[in-house]
Order: sequence, then structure tokens, then C-alpha cells
Amino acid sequence: MGKREDLRKIVLLGSGPIVIGQACEFDYSGTQACKALMKEGYEVVLINSNPATIMTDPELATRVYIEPLKLPFVKKVLERERPDALIPTLGGQTALNLALELNEAGILKELGIELLGARVDTIKAAEDRERFRDILDSIGAKYPKSEMVRTFEQGLQVAETIGFPLILRPNYTLGGGGGGVAFSLEEYKGKIATALHESPTSEVLVEESIMGWKEFELEVMRDKAGTFVVICSIENIDPCGVHTGDSITVAPQQTLTDRQYQAMRDEAKKIIESVGVETGGANIQFAVHPQTGERLVIEMNPRVSRSSALASKATGFPIAKIAALLAVGYRLDEIRNDITGTTPSCYEPALDYVVTKIPRFAFEKFAGSKDVLTTQMKSVGEVMGIGRTFKESLQKAVCSLEAQPEGFPVVTCTHDLVTYPNSNRLFHLYQAFRDGLSVEEANHLTQITPWFLEQIKELADFEKVLSRESLTTELIRKAKRLGFADAAIAKWSNRPVEDVRSSRWKAGIVPCYFQVDTCAAEFASSTPYFYSTYWSHPEPRTPHKETVALLGSGPNRIGQGIEFDYSCVRSVRQFQRMGQRVVMINSNPETVSTDYDTSDELYFEPLTEEHVLEVLRYVEPKGVICQLGGQTPINLAPSIVANGFAIIGSSLEAIDLAEDRGRFAQVCKELQFKIPESGMAADLSEARTIAARVGFPLICRPSYVLGGRRMEIIETEDELTSYFERHGAIFTKKVPCLMDQFLDRALEVDVDLVRGSDWSLIGGIIEHIEAAGVHSGDSMGVLPPQRLKPETSERIEALSLSLADRLGIVGFLNLQLAVKDDEIFMLEANPRSSRSVPFIAKASAIPLVDLGVMAMLGWNRARVRPERFKWSEVDKVSVKGVVFPFKKFPEADSILGPEMKSTGESMGRGDDYSEALLKALFSSQMTFPSHGEVFLSLRSKDKSELAPVMRDLVEMGYTLSATSGTAQFISQLGLPVTEVKKVQEGRPHCVDRIRSGQVAVVINTTSGRQSIETSFGIRRSCIDYSVPCITESDAAKAFLLALKKHLTGNFEVACLPATKLFD
Amino acid sequence: MEQSGYLILETGDVFVGRWLGGTDRAGEIVFNTSHSGYEEMATDPSYFSQILITTASMQGNYGESDDFWESQQIYINGFVCLEMQNSSRDGSWKDKLVGCGVPVLDQVDTRRLVTRLRERGTVWGALVQAVSESTARAKAGTLIGQAKNLDPDWAHLVSSKEPQEIRGDVNDGPRVAVIDFGCKKNILRELKQRTSQVRVFPCRTSAQEIRRWNPDGILLSNGPGNPADVKIAVETVRDLLGWRFIFGICMGHQILSLALGATTYKLKFGHRGSNHPIRDDVLKSVYVTSQNHGYAVEAKSLPSGVKVTHVNLNDNTISGIQFEAKKCLSVQFHPESHPGPHDAVGLFDYFVKQLL
Repeated sequence: MGKREDLRKIVLLGSGPIVIGQACEFDYSGTQACKALMKEGYEVVLINSNPATIMTDPELATRVYIEPLKLPFVKKVLERERPDALIPTLGGQTALNLALELNEAGILKELGIELLGARVDTIKAAEDRERFRDILDSIGAKYPKSEMVRTFEQGLQVAETIGFPLILRPNYTLGGGGGGVAFSLEEYKGKIATALHESPTSEVLVEESIMGWKEFELEVMRDKAGTFVVICSIENIDPCGVHTGDSITVAPQQTLTDRQYQAMRDEAKKIIESVGVETGGANIQFAVHPQTGERLVIEMNPRVSRSSALASKATGFPIAKIAALLAVGYRLDEIRNDITGTTPSCYEPALDYVVTKIPRFAFEKFAGSKDVLTTQMKSVGEVMGIGRTFKESLQKAVCSLEAQPEGFPVVTCTHDLVTYPNSNRLFHLYQAFRDGLSVEEANHLTQITPWFLEQIKELADFEKVLSRESLTTELIRKAKRLGFADAAIAKWSNRPVEDVRSSRWKAGIVPCYFQVDTCAAEFASSTPYFYSTYWSHPEPRTPHKETVALLGSGPNRIGQGIEFDYSCVRSVRQFQRMGQRVVMINSNPETVSTDYDTSDELYFEPLTEEHVLEVLRYVEPKGVICQLGGQTPINLAPSIVANGFAIIGSSLEAIDLAEDRGRFAQVCKELQFKIPESGMAADLSEARTIAARVGFPLICRPSYVLGGRRMEIIETEDELTSYFERHGAIFTKKVPCLMDQFLDRALEVDVDLVRGSDWSLIGGIIEHIEAAGVHSGDSMGVLPPQRLKPETSERIEALSLSLADRLGIVGFLNLQLAVKDDEIFMLEANPRSSRSVPFIAKASAIPLVDLGVMAMLGWNRARVRPERFKWSEVDKVSVKGVVFPFKKFPEADSILGPEMKSTGESMGRGDDYSEALLKALFSSQMTFPSHGEVFLSLRSKDKSELAPVMRDLVEMGYTLSATSGTAQFISQLGLPVTEVKKVQEGRPHCVDRIRSGQVAVVINTTSGRQSIETSFGIRRSCIDYSVPCITESDAAKAFLLALKKHLTGNFEVACLPATKLFD
Repeated sequence: MEQSGYLILETGDVFVGRWLGGTDRAGEIVFNTSHSGYEEMATDPSYFSQILITTASMQGNYGESDDFWESQQIYINGFVCLEMQNSSRDGSWKDKLVGCGVPVLDQVDTRRLVTRLRERGTVWGALVQAVSESTARAKAGTLIGQAKNLDPDWAHLVSSKEPQEIRGDVNDGPRVAVIDFGCKKNILRELKQRTSQVRVFPCRTSAQEIRRWNPDGILLSNGPGNPADVKIAVETVRDLLGWRFIFGICMGHQILSLALGATTYKLKFGHRGSNHPIRDDVLKSVYVTSQNHGYAVEAKSLPSGVKVTHVNLNDNTISGIQFEAKKCLSVQFHPESHPGPHDAVGLFDYFVKQLL
């Protein structure tokens, strides 16, 4: 049959900005699909609003549109491109929903565009609870019983039919408000009443509880001939009750008998046939009762998903790529298995290793949010550990999390933290085993399948052996086979880690690198995808002379995410074009960098000193690239050099000069750059002295952090005291609190530049839209700058380049500067590629990463010809928007500050600032009400600044309401305003007004700890009720500009220009 | 104290592991890539006298239960894996094996072992407990010699000695004769659900005796060893060709092919796993099958009129044939699964439909 020849041009929808639950796994799937379709000779048009992805790199598709994934914009692209078909199954739920909208609006029909990979009724059948249940009934599959309850009396009846415990899910409340579990009738009566009250539609779904059941997931594929394969079975260590994205999971499944597994497989096959998945990938989640073996279907997704990305990395089977090929007409038996190169794709991968995924959380970023895991996903990233045994893979995964590179940390265990799922449960469970808990007790507390508990306990028990026995070669070998890091062996055997490592090396105990080959070694395979294990002996290897090792950035977290994967992946191609073999080391299964065909060799390993050094010792690269994977590899640079490996690009000295605050300040002084006044305090009394010298406001933060953790703006002495009360414990002479003068109302800019031996180049300057005080990762930005004077911009360029020269940068340098009253302050220098590189590269149409690679490999000005690229000559305005996960954290405040909280970014490109703003805001899920009430509650210093905004709003037909002080100010302007009570002034107050749907937009600016706390309810209710809430005055002005643009209804779409280095 | 054990290959390769018990034994070394189903494999008579290596690293995870047995006994001559679950929860698979005298060796570098087998082909070997490698080698040599001296008609060694009758679930269903070369229980379960009566005949039963029972159809079961060494059955089947519809599975497929005049050959390292893709021209689909065989039918040797209906898509070897003129069909894989996917179970329906 082969591929369809009647298709010429295919549109692929991406998934938009990274949010919790829909992250860079869709960059991976989209990128794979793009590559596959391009290779098949199709014209591929990509639409995605996320600039941080490799997928939106103009090299990847025929044409890339960075436009909002919203109907009007996508419609415009489709009208322009007139594609034959559209694939909606590779961009997560966003793409599926968008496809439904396009269908409903008649656009697909009107333009004659065929949906590939999923039919509309299939998408609906999987999404619509009732229809899905009918299908399950028709094939005899069971599911948790549930019923929609609308009255209290009906609720009592339903409880009787289903039985306790029951889960209550009120409809249309956000963040799961008003829901819960009831274990008895008494408890249920109270809860159902509240739940009915909380739901705006008075509907509560009452569901049979399956908490404690074993949870499984099957990643399956089907082609149009009906061939069905299970790519991977995944077993959750955490039983039902924790979202699978937040669960620690293992592949392949470990504890089902073959009969149980095959019955599950049969059911999965029936489900995808009945739902009507014609071709492509899908996943189905099951619950299995731990004693009776009864099986229930939890849900299915008729598309590639986060789990399919994990499954692809776990097995080597490229699900998204195959899904794309199936969509254009191939059958599974017609597609070759890339990994073996000889066998077809209509088989099921066989694994001779175990894979463990551990999610990474960011609760600490959201003050007040409870570290409790539920069926609502909260993790921001994940790591995967591959080992020959479960124990080896689990320990590697723990090391990969980076917070504890030595493995399981010692914690003070409380049974509560073992019993109730939370982000650190695994560590508390492990500690409980150290403290003597039995497997039976642990099973009773956690309902985790005993097999896993036994495995974990074996590890904890072995620590005692290490402490008790002398550290023989045999014992080291055993420990390594159990996955213990050298540091852990050192800790428990009470020896210095250097000793352990040197004895280990002396004894020849080094890892062997086995292949992920999809077939458990049954067939020879040449795909260079490796993991380390101590269960074999290494094979000799002939080193290649021109090999470089590239360190990735590990798990996504707030502050270090997909942007770094962009830099890594984009650089690989440039290194290869320049004749290098690239060895990639990374531990994040969601990324493009860990796709087996991105680099020349992939080592799926933790980014810890030990694991990286072992790979380097084995591969013997000529150099290591530490400046593309964010802070993680930069932190490893010193030990890499100390162990005799060269780093390519900026030297250790240059890195240290930029990172060491004292030395950096010295350099700035020498070059006569202004830097904010600052000091370092180990305790409160020192802090007070510094405050007296520097003056308030101040920014306080711990040294060496990424993403601004525990960073706060301190305006008064009291706040300083409070800051030390809360965080003082972490500060010491060695890890002091950094205190900087805060440049109130300053304009901040980001600069990314590349410096070579005799040349340098500014990639671009991003002007922050919000004033200083909002973390650069959380502030919106615009390129080219809109408010910066041209001469200031030129001065910034000159300053930046001279700083790069002085630091001796080779490769990337990222700078953050502030401009206040035309004075330029140097805030921070990062001697590496940065979060803003992909945005800048796409906004300024400069192949910045490629240029960085040339710099690192020593190309001179004559060869590079950097003068070809001028960022300021770009003809489009680009705005960076940001996306926050506040909805997922019901207790968190949405106010922006110096601590980064966003998970993703969007990009809006336009002919002018307002168009770019509109698109960026649209892509960040901002809504633009065309009429209604704007509620304002402003701090004093913002009032007069926002007077023009108020006037414009009234002129545009919006009504205004405000709290007393702001209302008074508005009245004085001669504008009509409704005064509303603050929360502490009694009811009905402003929060009531927001909750009751009377408010269309909220502008709420505030500062100081006290005021922030009292106005929390305003911002929280906006999050819960999806009311746009602007918390900063410059953002409010930008919003108004976008709103005006929106009301005109005029906008265009445009694809990215190519950014080729060579013709 | 943990004890070392050795897996000594005839080729001279030695793999060391942790000896978990059982008595020294020799056998053909084979590997299976299924993730689950260790009990089904170990009790499948087709594994008679073989030492089984599981490529899936974690074994014994869900304990043991007689419910999963595919025969009355454990047939393998040794079990080798990377890590055997060391717990008696849900019964211990290790204890079960050891209790039956089957040697168990874990902590073996199974991936390297499989690579070796893949490169050099199936070899004989022995699992022995010894104080040193040299004594292990000596012991192994003797054991391998003895094992090779066994009567090569392995099917005869595992086949039932007396006919056995099973009442089927379908009163007006057909009556099926099974020639037992080492039949898995699940073949009989699948037949039971679709027939009125099943009679299992020992592998050396004459055609005459089967004709006397007058079945509606005949099933040739799976079984161990080299089909060329199986005595009598080929003549029996040749005699029955065209009389009643014949359905062969695995060894049954090979015996049928031999009866049709084809030849068989030994595969380099066999097909053993639950993930083998097949193109089936009878059911008109491509699906995943459970396989366990060391021999295959030579394509060139098939007489004219015999259609190749099933192909193993991994290596394009013959996985099934049909000869409409002689009313027979056979497959090299296991539609009865156990372990493995049920995708081919439709072949039993197809078989029964031919009998009505």
C-alpha cells in the first residue's frame, strides 16, 4: 500500500506553551513527526506558539508559523497554506481540541482539509464520558462506577448503590474545590452538601473509589489494516489516587501474571477498535485490584501523550514517528524498525532492562501550596533511569533528579509522609525501611505492591551491610550492581568518596554500556542508544578523534526547561555539519535531545559527576560542551576539568569570573560598569548592617540558585526580619544571603551574545515589559525594545561585548541589565546559553546556536562573517508571553515577583508591538472580554501611572469598580466608578464580586508582604474563575494595548524566515 | 553464604552466576524474550530438556501458582536469569523450581549470553555447581555427553502414554482428535470451548486407530525436539491427509510439512518470545504471536499446491502453510498463547469451522 500519493502538504499542530500536564514531550513527538514527514517528501507546515521548542525551529519543517493555537489565527494560516491534510494527534489535548473546533466551525470542510490520524467521532468518543462508557459496556469492559448527582436526596441513593468509599467531584469547580473522599455516610452527607453548593451547576460526580488499586498503562498502536501492538506496558508504583504524571512508574510492568497482562492487552485492543482509532498511537489506563485481580478501565487518550514519549524512550520504539507514517497511509508491517534496521515495526518491543520514571516537583515555588499528590497533576518534569534491574534503574532515577546526586537522602521520616502521597514519599518510605519498617507494614500504609516494597527495602538493608562489612572489591561490585552511587557507598562505609572511586577503578569495576535495542538482543542492532549497568564488563571501544560530549539539562524544572534542550539539539546539527561526532548525555525522557537519532551516540544517564565522568572515561571525547544545557552542566564543569577532560568553549576561569559575585563585581568595577549596591549576610545582624548601607528596597536571595528560589523584594526592616525568620536556617558563611539594591521601576533587559576568538555578535536585546522586580523568566519581553532609547541600546551592546571580552567568553554569554534614569546597571552574567536563546534566535532570525558552535570550535571572523547578522534589522516585533501553573496549586498566589513561577512561554510575532502583544497574550491563555467591568485595586505609586489606562477603558465602554483608595483616585479623574469593599471590610466584598461573575478583568498591583497577603483572595478568585488578572502596572498598559488591537480584529499571520548560515 | 554456579557452554564459554539450588543438569541453551509467563514456559513440554534463559531481567515477581502450568510438570532442565525474586510471597518460583530439582542460576550476564547465542547459534550446555571453573567444566562435559545420548524422539518422551478423553463444552460441536507431541494444556482448553469431544492420542498412534475413533478433525500438537527424529507420526499423518481436516501447531506444523513431503532445518537460534509479527493470509491480518521453536520448514522443499499462508515478518521464515486439496493447515507459532498474546486465537475458530 505505502504512503498516500494524493497528499502533498500537511499541517501539524503543536501543543503551545509548556504547562503542567502538557510539556516538552510534545516537542519530542512533533519534532519526530516533522522529520518523518519531511523525509517522506511532504511539505510540512507547523503551527505552534511555543518559541522554546526545537519543533518551531525553521529548519525543521517546510514552513513554521509561531502563531496562537486559536481558531482565528489557525484559520488564517490554513487559508494561506491550503494544505491537503492536518494531523491533530501529536500536539496533546490542545491540538485535538483545536481540531474539533476547526471541524465544528466548518473550516476543515470549507478548505477541503482532511484530518489524519484521528476522526472527529473518535476524538469525541474518547472524550465524552457517556459515550466512552457505552463503548466499554458494549465490549464488556468495566470501569469505576459513578453517577452525576444533582440533589442531596439523589446523592444518598447513589451512595447506596455504589458503596463507600466514594470520591466526590463537583462539576466546574477549579482546582478540585469542594471535592474529596467520603469513607462513611456521616462524612458523605456533609461533603455532598458542600460539593453541591460549590459547583456552579450544582452537579457532583460521585465515583467509586479505586484508591489503592494497582495502576497500569498500555501504550498501543494500530494501523488501518487493524494490526495492533503494545509498545510498552507501564506500571505505577504509586497506586491509584495519584495522577499517573505524578506517579513513579516502571516499564515494563513487573507484577502482573502473563494471563492478567494478556487479558488487559485484549481489552486495550477492543477499546481502541471500538473507539475507532484507525491509525496511530493511544494509551489506556487500567486499575487492577491488588487481591481479586478485578480490572477497571480508567481512561484512554486517542493520541500520543506524555506516556508515549516515556514509552518511546523506554523501549526505543519511536511512537510519534510511526504514528505520523501511519497517518499518511503506511501499515506497521511496511515500516522498518529503525533500531534493528532489519525487522518491521509490527512487533512488540522486548526489554531486557527496567526503566523507572520519577516526576520532579516544584512545590517550593508556590508558597502556601500543600505538597499533596492527588488525581490533579502537579509535577513539572521527570527523569528516567535505565538499569538492568529495577533497583539499579530506581537508584539511577533518584540520582537523575539532581537534588540528591548521591541517591536516597537521609530524611526524618514521619509515617504521615509515607502514608499520604507527596513529592517526597519515596524518600520517606526508604527512610522508614532504614528505620526498621517491614514490607507488610509498608504495604498496609501505602498500598504499594509488595514486590516494589521488597525491592526498595533490599536497598535500604544493603546500606547496613556497607556500614558493617569491610569494603572489599566484591562488596563494591555488589553495591554498584544495586545502583549505589560512589557517594552513597562512601557515606555508608564511612570512607571518602575519592577512595571509593579509586578503589573501584583500580578493581576495574566500571560500567558497561548496553544498548536499548527494542528486542532484548535477539537481533543485532546498530542504534547508538546506551545506558550504563554494572551487570556486565565493558567492551573495548575505539575512540573517534573528533568526538565531543554534550551535556543536556536533566529534568525540566521551573527555571531550567525545554529552552536548553533547544540549544542542545540545534547545536548537535551544527557540530555535525562541522565534522564532529556528538555524544549526548541526558536523563530527561521528554526531550528531543534524548531521541536516539538526534545525536551520534546517546547515553541516557544521570547528569551527576559520577555518571558523567564514567561516560567520558568510556567515550574519551576530545572535549565536553557544558554551556548549552543550562546550569546543570556548568556546575559539573569544575570536576570534569579536574578529572582531566577538556571543556570546549569558555574556560573554567571565564565561568568562575562570571559566576563568582565577588570576582564579577571586581570586573565590573574595572570596566566602570555600574552594579547595584550589594552585600552578603550570614545572619540577620549582618543583614541589618548591609541594609543600612545599601538602603531599602532590597532583593534578598541565597547564593548560587537558579530560577530565583527564595528570592524576595524587601522593602522594610520588618520584612527583612521576617525573611530571615523564614529562610535564615539555610544561610551560613559559606552559603550567604545575597542582598542587592533593588532598582525600583527600572527597565530590565536580557542580552544574549556569542563571542569567538576574534569576533562577537549580539543575538538580540529583549526588553522586559514589566518593571524590575519580576523574575526575568516570568516577565513578558519584547524584541526589538520599544521603550529603550536607541543610544541606550547601543551602549548596552557595547558594554555587553566588552564584558564578554574581559571575561574571556568563548561561546555564549547571557546578561541581565537594568536601566534606570538612563543609567545602565549590570545585574547578572551567565556564561552559557540561556532561557532566552531560542526566543531571540527566532525573533531576530539569527542562527545563534550555530554561531555559538562556530565560536566554540574556534572559527575566526573571516570564516564566520558575523557581520551578516544584525538583530536590530529584524522587520517583525516579537513578544514573549509567559504561562503559569497557578490553577494547579489552589493555595498559591499569582502575584509575580523575583522568584520564577512560570512553566512555559509563548511568542507573538506581529508587524507592530500591539499585534505581537495580542498574539503572545492569546497564546498565554489570556482572554479579552469585549465589554464588562474592570476591577482595580492599586498600590499608591501605580495610580497616577495608570490614569491613562483608566480613561481609555472608560472610553472603550468598560465600567470600572475599585477598592476605596483606588475608587477615590478614579473619581478625582472624573471617571464613573463603583466602590467595592476590600475583603477585610465585610461582605459583599471584591472577591464576592469576582466569584459571582460580575467582573471581566482585574488589575491588582500591590507590594509589601502585608498587602500581598491581604489581597491574595482577589488574585486567587481570578485564577479559580478564569478572570484575567494583571498584577503589574506596565503589564496593565500592555494589556490595554493588546485589548485595543483585539477589538480592531485586524491581524495577520506569517511564517518564520529561514535562518541559514550557509546557502 | 552465596554460592557460585556455572553455565558452561559446549563452545567453551563460561557464565558465572549465583547458584540458587537444584541439581546439575545439561541441555540445549535457549532464550525467550517474553516479559512474563515464566511458569507457562517452564511447564511447556516443548522446552523438554532445555535450559531456559529469560531475557527479561526480573523473574519470579508474582510468585507461583499451579493454575499457570501448561502440563503436569516442569520440563526445563534449568532456569537462568539476571535476578530471581527472593521472597516467598505468593509462593516462591525459585523454591518451586529447586524443589523439582531444576537448577536455577541468577545474576548471570544474560544479555551477553544471548548475544553469544545469537551470534553462534543454539548450543548445548550445562548448569553446574562447583568450587572452581575447571571442575565445573569437567562436570559439564560429562552431563552434556549424557544429555546428548538421550533418545532423540523427544516428543515420544513427553507424549501421553494412553489416550485421554475430554468432554467439550459445545454439545453439537465437532469431535477432535489430538495427536500429542507434548501438548500444552491451553490447546486443549481452546478446543474444549469449541467442540463436543476431544481425544488426545499418544504421538505414536497409528492412523488406523484414529480413523477408528472417527473424529471430525485432527489437531497435531506442539512438542519438543527435532521433527525429523519423531517416529511413526509422519506416516500416520500422511495416511490421514485429505481424510479429515488437519490443523497443526508448532511441532504439529513441522510433522504435517514432513508428511506433505517437505523438509525441516534447524534455525540458528530459534524463535522464542511473545512478540513475533506474522502475516496471516488465512485470517487476512498481521498480528503478534507467541513462538517457541528451534526448527523450521524449508520453503524450497514444499511440494506444489502447498501455499505458504503465514510468514514470520522478522526473518521471512515460513510460519504457516495450507494445502486446500488435502484439507490441512498448520502454523509454526502458538495460537493458544500461554504465554503471549491472543491475537491468533481465531485460528481455532477457523479450524472448527472447517469441521462443520
